[in-house]
Amino acid sequence: MHGSLLWIVTLAYLAALLLEVSRIYFRSQLRGAALVGLVLGGLAAHTLLIGYRWSVLHRDPFSSIFDWCLSAAWVLAVVYLYLTLYHPNHPIGIFTLPLVLLLQLAAATVASREPFAQSEEARILAAVHGFSLLVGTVVVFLGLATGVMYLISAYWMRRKHRPPRLLRLPSLEWLQRMTQRCLLLALACLSLGFVTGVVLSQLRHGYINWSDPVVWTTTLLMVWLVAVAVFILLYRPARQGRKVAYLTLASFLFLLVALVAVFRAPGHAGGQGAGDRTGSALRLGTIRPVGSLPEGPQP
Amino acid sequence: MIHLVGCSHHNTPVELREQLAFSPQKAEQALARFRREFPQVEAVVLSTCNRVEFYTAAESPEELLSHRQMGEFLARFHQLDADQVLEQLFRRSGQEAVMHLFMVAAGLDSMVVGEPQIRSQVKQAYDLACRCETAGPVTHAVFQAALKAARRVSNETSIHRKRVSVPSVAVAEFAKQIFERFDDKQVLVIGAGEMAEETLRYATDEGAKHITVVNRSLDRAEQLARRWQGRARPWDQLLDALAEADMVISTTGATEPIVRLEDFRRIEPKRYQRPLLVLDLAIPRDFDPAIGDCLGVYLFSVDDLQEVCRQNLRERQQELPAAVEILKEETAAFMAELNRRATGPIIHRLRQNWQQIKDDELRRLFNKLPDLDPRSRREIEYAFHRLLNKLLHPPLESLRDHAQEGVPHGLLEALRKLFQLPD
Repeated sequence: MHGSLLWIVTLAYLAALLLEVSRIYFRSQLRGAALVGLVLGGLAAHTLLIGYRWSVLHRDPFSSIFDWCLSAAWVLAVVYLYLTLYHPNHPIGIFTLPLVLLLQLAAATVASREPFAQSEEARILAAVHGFSLLVGTVVVFLGLATGVMYLISAYWMRRKHRPPRLLRLPSLEWLQRMTQRCLLLALACLSLGFVTGVVLSQLRHGYINWSDPVVWTTTLLMVWLVAVAVFILLYRPARQGRKVAYLTLASFLFLLVALVAVFRAPGHAGGQGAGDRTGSALRLGTIRPVGSLPEGPQP
Repeated sequence: MIHLVGCSHHNTPVELREQLAFSPQKAEQALARFRREFPQVEAVVLSTCNRVEFYTAAESPEELLSHRQMGEFLARFHQLDADQVLEQLFRRSGQEAVMHLFMVAAGLDSMVVGEPQIRSQVKQAYDLACRCETAGPVTHAVFQAALKAARRVSNETSIHRKRVSVPSVAVAEFAKQIFERFDDKQVLVIGAGEMAEETLRYATDEGAKHITVVNRSLDRAEQLARRWQGRARPWDQLLDALAEADMVISTTGATEPIVRLEDFRRIEPKRYQRPLLVLDLAIPRDFDPAIGDCLGVYLFSVDDLQEVCRQNLRERQQELPAAVEILKEETAAFMAELNRRATGPIIHRLRQNWQQIKDDELRRLFNKLPDLDPRSRREIEYAFHRLLNKLLHPPLESLRDHAQEGVPHGLLEALRKLFQLPD
């Protein structure tokens, strides 16, 4: 059942994206309502899917990479819906819906459905770890969308071109504010996720395996974000204009590298059961992947 | 029926338009005088910078004034030579007059096609006629329909959304694309020209509150600042003011740039690359164009803005056929409704007449058949009712069909005579 639901959700978001793109070609008074209807429908099916996995299969939103991707896509879709209602005349979906679809497609194709093993004593810490990394990732994705919008809009303004009327983006001021907030929120959330990951690893193994690609790419992301924060704090012009957008874009690339490392890590893709791999606590939303657990109600 | 005489920028020199123009007070006086002279006739006066139009209407053609009488009234009111005035006025009647009003209200007959102010001017003219009690059933219907048609054009095309004046383009197309809000922005006005003031009007409409005026003459700067609740600063503080500004409107008459690149470089560190929108509306330009390459600066000259105005005007022209099509539809629907209303009294009298005959015959029949049970009485009444409707259906249908193309005066007269309907 949830296989079909996953594709229904993806198709609903894809249809919404096509509607957003149609803004380029023609005006329509019905498009706004159709867009909201499609996204609401997609979100309803999406919620059903997450709820079904949680209540029937006992897979909470952070229990596997698959569930984590689904949840991140859900949060991003909700944010998109809010922004579309707040800015109905701007094609924000052209920049955010592809990211929602990317997460959906990752869930459908490459994300492992194998649940992470969770020790009872660290359950809350693991939930905080998973949740903060999920919010941090969504916020970086959103920052990417607003950053790209900023760069496009600033490009038009610098060349004294009026943006095409049906592709008019929110003001540069709003985009800059959003991008800046995304960057700072991402720093806070990902830092929390990183620290909880370190604590979880210490609790379990007493040390961190720095040779694990997941560990060092995540650490690299953290170092980058801290450097960005210091840069913004010490150099005032870095809070303005295109610099914020470029910093967000770079943060997205660092995050992408970390995500690729997580997706490629043994124990996630093929169910190799890397149960005792050291440092795996730093993985997104993980304590330790267990390849042998079947999908279904857990004891 | 509706008649129109008028003059506009299309066909009349400005001198005559000025002579025929009505201030609101004069329009009120004219309507009051018209009401005294022609109490049966409805009238509306529409007077703007580019047009003077005089609409009269009446429900029956006999009561309606001729175009000549309307022109003579205008000439008499303005104490002008009637023949000379009549020579310059255009004339429209019936559907043409309605279509013209619809075009005017939608801004399609304006000098700047699609300008939105005309709609409120038409509404004001109609409101004045209502207050002066010269508006009646026909003018109520036609002016309300004109405003509705104008709204439809505004909603269904983008003709009004494309701005064509430099200040409106500067604020609506560019400033709003850079700033989300204006109430926390520092607006610096350099020079005290008309264009600066007009741009400032658009900026304050968007919420700008913190206005600083810098001018070579501090007196003039203070005058302008007072009008806009801003503050004036002496000319030698121009660069300091520029360091604090978010938006600059510059319109001096200087022959050399007043802000050179090296001047701007001096204040650049104080700005921390904060966005700065410079609307350089002066010719020759007040800002060195190289400043536009500095980080955070968005510099627009008059040429940049005029180019957008021209594009918008072209786009408005492209929207014109769609707007005209809407107005044609609205005119056709309105005329059909108006003509249908003209046939209303005859239809009503015809029905009344036949109803009377039916009632008389039923009464006579029921008197002759006193033993009829209630059910049979109801059946008979129903049969008579159906018979009446079936007999009336063909003539009324023909009447409605002909009313689509105009008031069917011939048919109405024939019905009146054939069925001896009272006037």
